[in-house]
Amino acid sequence: MLRDPANQVSRRAITLWLLESLTWFVFVVGGSILVAYWLSGWSPIDGWPVWLLPIVVTLLMLPGVIVEPLWRFAVHRWEFSDDVVYARSGWLSREWVFVPVSRIQTVDKAQGWFERLLRLATVEIRTASHAGSSTIKGLDFTVAAQLAADLAHRARELRDDAT
Amino acid sequence: MTAPTIPSMRPPVPVLRLSPRVLLIDPIRMLPSLVVPLAGVLIAGGFSAASFGWAALGVAASVVFAVIRWATFTYSIADGRLELTRAFIGRSVRTIPLERIRGVDVTAPPMHRVLGLAVLKLDTGAGGDEQEGELDGVTKQEAERLRATLLADREQHAAAADDAAGHTGPEGRRYARVPRSWLRYGPLSGAYLFTPFALLAGAIGLAFQWGEEFGLNQRAAWRALEWLWDRPYLLVAAAAALVLAMPVLGWLMYALFNWDFTLSGRGGYLIAERGLITRRVVSLERRRIRGYELGESLLERRFHVARLWAVVTGLGDSRTRGQLLPVVPRPFAETVAVEAVGPIGAPLRRHPLMARRRRLFRAIVPWAVFAAIAFALGFVVVGCVLLLVAAAGVPLGLDRYRSLGHAFDGRRLSVRSGSVRRTQAVVERRAVVGWTIRQTWFQRGGRVLTVTAGVGAGKGGYSAVDTGEEQGVAFAAEVTPAWITPFLTSHDG
Repeated sequence: MLRDPANQVSRRAITLWLLESLTWFVFVVGGSILVAYWLSGWSPIDGWPVWLLPIVVTLLMLPGVIVEPLWRFAVHRWEFSDDVVYARSGWLSREWVFVPVSRIQTVDKAQGWFERLLRLATVEIRTASHAGSSTIKGLDFTVAAQLAADLAHRARELRDDAT
Repeated sequence: MTAPTIPSMRPPVPVLRLSPRVLLIDPIRMLPSLVVPLAGVLIAGGFSAASFGWAALGVAASVVFAVIRWATFTYSIADGRLELTRAFIGRSVRTIPLERIRGVDVTAPPMHRVLGLAVLKLDTGAGGDEQEGELDGVTKQEAERLRATLLADREQHAAAADDAAGHTGPEGRRYARVPRSWLRYGPLSGAYLFTPFALLAGAIGLAFQWGEEFGLNQRAAWRALEWLWDRPYLLVAAAAALVLAMPVLGWLMYALFNWDFTLSGRGGYLIAERGLITRRVVSLERRRIRGYELGESLLERRFHVARLWAVVTGLGDSRTRGQLLPVVPRPFAETVAVEAVGPIGAPLRRHPLMARRRRLFRAIVPWAVFAAIAFALGFVVVGCVLLLVAAAGVPLGLDRYRSLGHAFDGRRLSVRSGSVRRTQAVVERRAVVGWTIRQTWFQRGGRVLTVTAGVGAGKGGYSAVDTGEEQGVAFAAEVTPAWITPFLTSHDG
């Protein structure tokens, strides 16, 4: 069986996921309020408690909004050892990715503006195949920079050995 | 003079042009785009002498344009690179280093064929058609010469690499020539089945585009539709004709594209040649072939026939270009795959019974739910049809499960899945660039997962669907132990 990757992501990633799911939550609840408002004038359902719709949506989504970030924090882990990047992600569904340094084509360090606010970064490791590529989210900015530098350094060393 | 001539620093580089015969094709190709403006000029001018004069001027101008374009386009091969120079408006030179040319694709569309010409397309692995070089309209001999010259450099490299790897293909051998009688398997593939509809859509589009010119407008179109609507038997007859035309036209298209399909090996290349009207020759660099895919539809399996593709790194449009065989008897396809690419020497391993339950669930339950909804809403006929579909899900699900499998023989790995379109991929281990293992919430409950080998060729990833938890991880660890074993728990179990 697979063991857990050694490192957790930054604790601030919980805030990041919370912000992201809250944005989504506000969006959907806002949408349901609009739908309820629009439906209230519709004769076939006249007299039904239409305003229940946003409340039901809120009640259904709220546990997810709170649980998802915590759950993700427990699942998202990564490790770089033996020249292989090993990362786990997801929450309800999970994904394990193995990318050997010798096959890496590019390493990107990206920051969205939530991430920037929280001093977090995402490391994207690309190979010639989408199925052999990995994205590690929610890393502390300095950790991400270090990982990207290590990967680039090790990739160069391996290449020099090969030639 | 008997004095020895002083050798020049470099032999003069021949600057070449496309065959002038291409000038016969150009105006015909431009015709469709000229017809409408020409008709416009003639109609606007009331078919007067002056309007004919203007129209003639337009035609002459387009011919002159074609001649100038032809005269200002040159190409040359020197110093290990191919240069394509356009000097019509401004001057552009595209330089393609010969070592970057990974394959040469020679096609001969009908008009080219009549004139003994061909179109040469260079595959540089750059991705995107814009980046690739094209010589539209060289003579057949020139195309052959260019192909040999452009690939000669690479063939030396490839031969050296092949020798090192110890699998040099015999010189100029032919792997397969598909007999014409096998064209009868064409409709089984289900390819081109929608040709009648595509033709109809094309005709309607053309009618609208050209109709404007001849006073056909939306109102007339509506009237025509209403007229048809009042005569439903005509619509039914048309629909029936379309459906009946599906296999016939589909087969016709298939035969046109796959006429006299031959697959041969020359130097470091596999060369696939096919087509009746447009003859197409695709050269695949053997060094970049990483495996093959064997595809069978349900009908094809019933008749024991299959299709074959090569899995090639850095090949755009791989489903068309990478085709190694059209529909042929399966044993034949397997033999060719083994000879041209390589064998897989291990039987497929079965996936756990949970995979069968999941296949059945997914094939039956959604339709059953829809059927229940239909009955609840009172649509009895729809509900019955959906129930039948759900019932058909039983054999389908079972068959999907039977298709699942994965294997590794020390050099190549193989995965198989699908029922209506079953594909088995065989890929070399060295092509694997990484692994993704996925487990959805539902898979977790059933202790199964999906293992995908990332491959820098073909589809990009080949999945073993619903393997057991241990089984899937063991599969990845077996193929590339160095990448997986460091992350396994030390105790077994």
